[in-house]
This record gives sequence, structure tokens and C-alpha cells, in this order.
Amino acid sequence: MSAAAVAPRVIAPERHDLLSWITTTDHKRIGILYMGTTLFFMAVAGLLAMAIRTQLARPGETLIGPHAYNQIFTLHGTAMIFLVIAPFGLGLANYLIPLQIGAPDMAFPRLNATSFWMFLFGGLIVFAGAATSEGAAAAGWTSYVPLSEITVASGLGQDLWIVGIALVSVASILTSLNFVTTAFILRAPGMTMWRLPIFTWEMIATALLIFMAFPSLTATLLLLFVDRRFGGHAFDPAFGGSPVLYQHLFWFFGHPEVYVLILPFFGIVSEIISTFSGRPMFGYTGMVLAAFAIAGLSMGVWAHHMFTTGAVNNPFFSFVSFLIAVPTGIKFFNWICTMWGGAIRYPTAMLYAVGFLVNFLVGGVTGVMVASPPVDFQAQDSYFVVAHFHYTIGGGSLFALLAALYFWWPKVYGWMLDERLGKIGFAFTFIGFNVTFMPMFFMGLFGMPRRIYTYANAGALPALNIVATAGSYLMLIGALLFVVNVIVSARRRVPAGNNPWDATTLEWATTSPPPEHNFEALPPIRSSRPLWDLAHPRSPESSS
Amino acid sequence: MQPPTWPALGTTQSQMLADDWKIFTYAALAVAVLVWALIAFAALRFRRTARNAEPRSQRENNPALEIGWTIAPLVLVIALFGITYHIENEVERLDPNAAVQVDVNAFRWGWTFHYKGGPTVSGTSAAPPEMVLPLGETVALNVTSSDVIHAFWVPDMLFKRDAIPGRVTSFDLTPSKPGTFLGRCGEFCGLDHATMTFRVRIVAPAEYKRWLALETTQ
Repeated sequence: MSAAAVAPRVIAPERHDLLSWITTTDHKRIGILYMGTTLFFMAVAGLLAMAIRTQLARPGETLIGPHAYNQIFTLHGTAMIFLVIAPFGLGLANYLIPLQIGAPDMAFPRLNATSFWMFLFGGLIVFAGAATSEGAAAAGWTSYVPLSEITVASGLGQDLWIVGIALVSVASILTSLNFVTTAFILRAPGMTMWRLPIFTWEMIATALLIFMAFPSLTATLLLLFVDRRFGGHAFDPAFGGSPVLYQHLFWFFGHPEVYVLILPFFGIVSEIISTFSGRPMFGYTGMVLAAFAIAGLSMGVWAHHMFTTGAVNNPFFSFVSFLIAVPTGIKFFNWICTMWGGAIRYPTAMLYAVGFLVNFLVGGVTGVMVASPPVDFQAQDSYFVVAHFHYTIGGGSLFALLAALYFWWPKVYGWMLDERLGKIGFAFTFIGFNVTFMPMFFMGLFGMPRRIYTYANAGALPALNIVATAGSYLMLIGALLFVVNVIVSARRRVPAGNNPWDATTLEWATTSPPPEHNFEALPPIRSSRPLWDLAHPRSPESSS
Repeated sequence: MQPPTWPALGTTQSQMLADDWKIFTYAALAVAVLVWALIAFAALRFRRTARNAEPRSQRENNPALEIGWTIAPLVLVIALFGITYHIENEVERLDPNAAVQVDVNAFRWGWTFHYKGGPTVSGTSAAPPEMVLPLGETVALNVTSSDVIHAFWVPDMLFKRDAIPGRVTSFDLTPSKPGTFLGRCGEFCGLDHATMTFRVRIVAPAEYKRWLALETTQ
């Protein structure tokens, strides 16, 4: 079953016509559809970000007016959060969970297809707002009231935003139902819960968070829609409603959502670091418990987004937010100890995983800073917070997303991506990312609010902004190099074999790409690393 | 007017806020440097080379170490919380006998400053208003909005507070430096959010009285 035993060859790709893609219930093809869709939305959201950085390169730039700018940053944020980072984790989980637990498919294959199509059309409906006469939604991805109420945002774009996001929300709940059921009941013989790969564990925690948080989002959107179109007054202070209530409901979803955006990527990084260090995941049990601790605590911190409203108990929400640093720290120390004593290889996937550690740390420690209300009074809604969350979702999740693409691409398509182009792309992305976002901490501290389309030619802001814009163009080059890499590698088709990275989880025990039913035969599962056990039959440590 | 750069710390409250910023920044930097050093050491020291061709250990846990790195950060965040709690209480303390009271109303896109028992100053993005305040005296501000959510933010005072329709929120500030400071809307409010600014001019108490008399008679 090892890589050497099977002659490396690329399996002739099965011919799939369009109809079969539309009707497929194969979790792998749904996973590919999911991830492909998120990459498409990422390209759009990335170009919107380039428009933002180009407009902000110089003070007083007139390239984009305020109306267009407000739509652009609203769509950029909405797409990256709802249509790229979160659903990429769901798409990858669709592909991987059955393979990692030795199952032939998801528990509910047709429900799985339903969630994908709801997600796709939800995303398209959000963007369809751009084709309406008053343009797309322009109230930011948080869509705060009264800014998003009909009295202020009279256009259809805001309604399409609500409907689209509601569809994405329901799709996420349905697909999470599938993940949890699959992981609980379809595990292969020998695959006990405490032998599940870390990625699958992180997805279970993610799914539980989605169960708790997304119904609140769906309900909030419904209330907003009733306010807008059916004369409701849930959030209208003139009739006893409250704009602060909207913020409570939104962030009751919105903060757990932050962890929906990161837990899957913790899983990705764990798998990659363990594989390329040649070591088991250090502190496996602690890693799993930390994921659930983060998930649990994240349900009790929503109002740290509301410190400046003067309407919440700041100390309580501050303290619980601080506590999240503890399980996150556990994860960091476990990743470091997984590398410790290993023989670490550095293909592109591992470079992105280490880049994740370096960047996400900045997001983490600045997260503790903004969890302190006295700091937040300045940082909230300033570029300081913009820098903070881009270090978590961009420098963190996005780097792990790229690591995942380089790591699992050979499994999905059966051929390798080019490592040299990959490493050059990593250099551009890593340097570009830090050059873009590090100056933003200072912009925020110096008083630049987020969501402004222009700023005055005074103080340090012009210099900081031009540096940030230069960095964003470096990242653009990194992104284009990835596209070039895919085209070049697709023509070269270097065969991957079953297990090109010497990885140890079950998805690497089958062919690349796997057959429709996933496995011809399963290796014995006696630990969380069945393929390592297979390669080291007499090692005393393999029987743990 | 102060250009946007290192905040001037124009109030006594902002000096306390700056202490919180400093403590948290140093703590963040200390943790980041320590963990970066550990990452760099592990990543470089244990890379695969001819001499380090095989992993030297398959050890997968160390309970004492794991308990240690759970407790140490816990102690750190509890200490940080103590500092936060103390500073926030000081900053948010309201003086019932504040010498000056100003009701702030934010609207799309401008500000109205109503001095209790005195003048009302108003202005929009095109002609931003100026709030004149006496040096060294406690000022009570009551903030609200007449349309969407805005935020009263003076970056040089390290402080902002949301202006929410249907709600009045209050805070004190005690100007400690003379000069003119830029104020702006800190919560996204639509088209002219970027230019919804105002000025805060801190003057000596005697000059403030002259200004007040002049404005009131006008």
C-alpha cells in the first residue's frame, strides 16, 4: 500500500459532462465544485481589494467615488467571509472527511449536493445586486441598521444581499449536519473518535459552531427583511426597536463565525506540519480539546465588537475574549513541538503552513490588544482592526488555504503542482502580505477610520498608504503566479502517485484521484496514523 | 491642527488609555518575539539535512509541559484583565459636577454641539463645526444620532463612542493640552463618512469664557 508498491501513474481522468457535474452526489466532486466556486469568488474579491488599494494609494484620489467604493468594500468583505474562506473549509471537508475516516461517501449525499447549489446561488444573488439600478449592497459586510434599513438603503441590492446570505447560511447548516453525521456514524472499523485526523476533529468543532451561530444569522436577516419590506420595526427606535439589538444578534453569529473561518485552517496546518516534520501531531488530545474550548468560549464573546456602544458589560466580554488566548496558545505550542525533533521538509505547502504560524501570531496577539476596551476605544472601526483581522483571516486562513491547495492538489487531480513556481509565489505572497497590512496598524493608531474612500494629505497617512498599496501589488503577482503554476503543471502532468508527501492519514492510502467509492481496500487502523503504522510495522511506538 | 501621526494625548483620560496601549503592546511584542523565536528555532534547527535525515523522536505528548503552557498564558491574561479593568473604570468615571456639558448630535453628514445653557454650534462635511473646550476642566459629553449610527472620535484623545439613534451615551473628557485636534465619524454611515469631520479646540478657561459670551450673544 505504500507509495513505492504502486507504480506512479496518472489515472486517465474520467470524462464528466456538464449534466453529470450538475447532478453529482459524489462528495469528492461536490468538494471540487465547492472549492472551485470559492476560488472564483476569491478572484473577484481579490480584484475588488486591488481596486480599494489603488483608490487609497494617494490622498484625494478620484478613481472611485464614494458610492462605488462603498459597494466595493461591502462586496469584498461579504465575499471573503461568506463566499471564500468559510466555504473553502466546508468544500475541503466535503472532499476529505469521508476519505480521512475511510467512508465511501457522506451520510446524506443528496443533501450535500443541495447545500452546494444553495451556496453557489446565494453567492451569485449577492453579486447580482451590482446589476440593479442603485447598485449592490453598500452597508458593509456587517450590514448594520439603520444603515441597511429601507429608509436609508432603498435599493434592491440590499435585499438581494439579505436573500443571498440567508441561502449561504442555510447551506452551511445543512452541510454541517452532514459532516457531523458522517464523522459520527460512517467511520471505518478501527477508526475510533480518538483516532480521527485533526482536520476532521476541527471540522466537527466547526460544524457545532455553525449549528449554534448560523440560525441566529438567518433569524437576524429575516427580521431585517421584514423591517425592510413588510413594515416591521424590530430595529427601529421610533417604534421601540433597537439598533443595538441588531448588533447583539449579528455578533452572536459573527464572533463564532470568526472561528468558523479559522478552525478548519487550524486542521489543515496541523496535518501539513505533522506530515512534513515526519512526526505525529504533538499533544493530539490537547489539540482536540483546545478546538472545543475555542468553540465554546467563542459563543460568549460577541459583545467585544460593541465596546464603543456603551451598551454592554465590557469587562465580562473582555475577560472571556482574553481567555481564548489560552487554547489558541496551546495550539501554537503543539505545532512548535510537532516540528521539534522532526526532519522537516519544506515544499510549498509547508512554507505556507509556517507562514501561517508567523502571520497568525500577529493576528492573535493584536486580538488580545483589541479585547482590552481601553485599546479598543481607539482601535475599533479603525485600520488597526482592519490590520488585525486581515492577519487572522488573510495571513492565517488564506495562507492555510494556499497550503491546502498545494498539499491536496496531487490527491485531487493526480498530478503535482510545480514547486519552484510555488515557492516564488510564496515569497511574493508572504512579503506582499506583510508590506500591505503591517502599516495598517499604524494607520489605525494614527486615526484612519476603516471604510473611507479618501483621506487628507496630512501626517503619516499618505506614506503608510502608498506602502500598503505597493504590498498589495506584490500579493497580486503571487496570485498570478499560482494561476500560471496551475496552467504549466496541468500541461506537464507530473504523476503524484498515491502518497507523494509520505503522509499518514487514510486519504493517502487510495489512488490519486480516488475512485468513485474511495477505497479498493483499507489498511488496518490502529492509531491516528494508519499509513505510518504500515510503514513501521515493528516500531514499538506505532502501537499506541 | 494636529496631523494624523502619533496621538497627542490631549486629555487626562487619554494618558491612562495610552498606559493601557503601552502595557498591551509590550505584552503582545514579548509574546510574539518569544513564540516567533521558538518557531524559527524549530523550523531551522530541525529541517531535514544529510545529518538530520530521520525524525529523532516520535514522542507525541508531554503532560507536564502541556499543563505548563496552559497555566502560564492563563496567569498572563488574568493579570492583563486586572489592568484593563482598572484603567477602564478610571476612564469611564463620570463626574456629576462636570463644569461643561455638551450634547452631541450626529447626523448624515455633520455634527451639532449644544452647550448646556449656552450656544449651539453646527456644521456639515463641507463646513465642519468646531467644539471649543476649556483646558483642565471636566467636560461631560452626551452623544446621540438622529439617523444612522455614527461615532464621535478624536484620535488624539484615543477615544471614540458610538452615536446611536434612540440612545444617549455619556462620557467625560478633561482636556490637558491646548491646541486644535481633528475629530471625525468613526462608524461607517454612508456616502460622506470619509469627510464627516469636526475640530476640537482647547483653549485657556478665560478665553473659553470669552468665546462662550460671544457665541451666546450672537
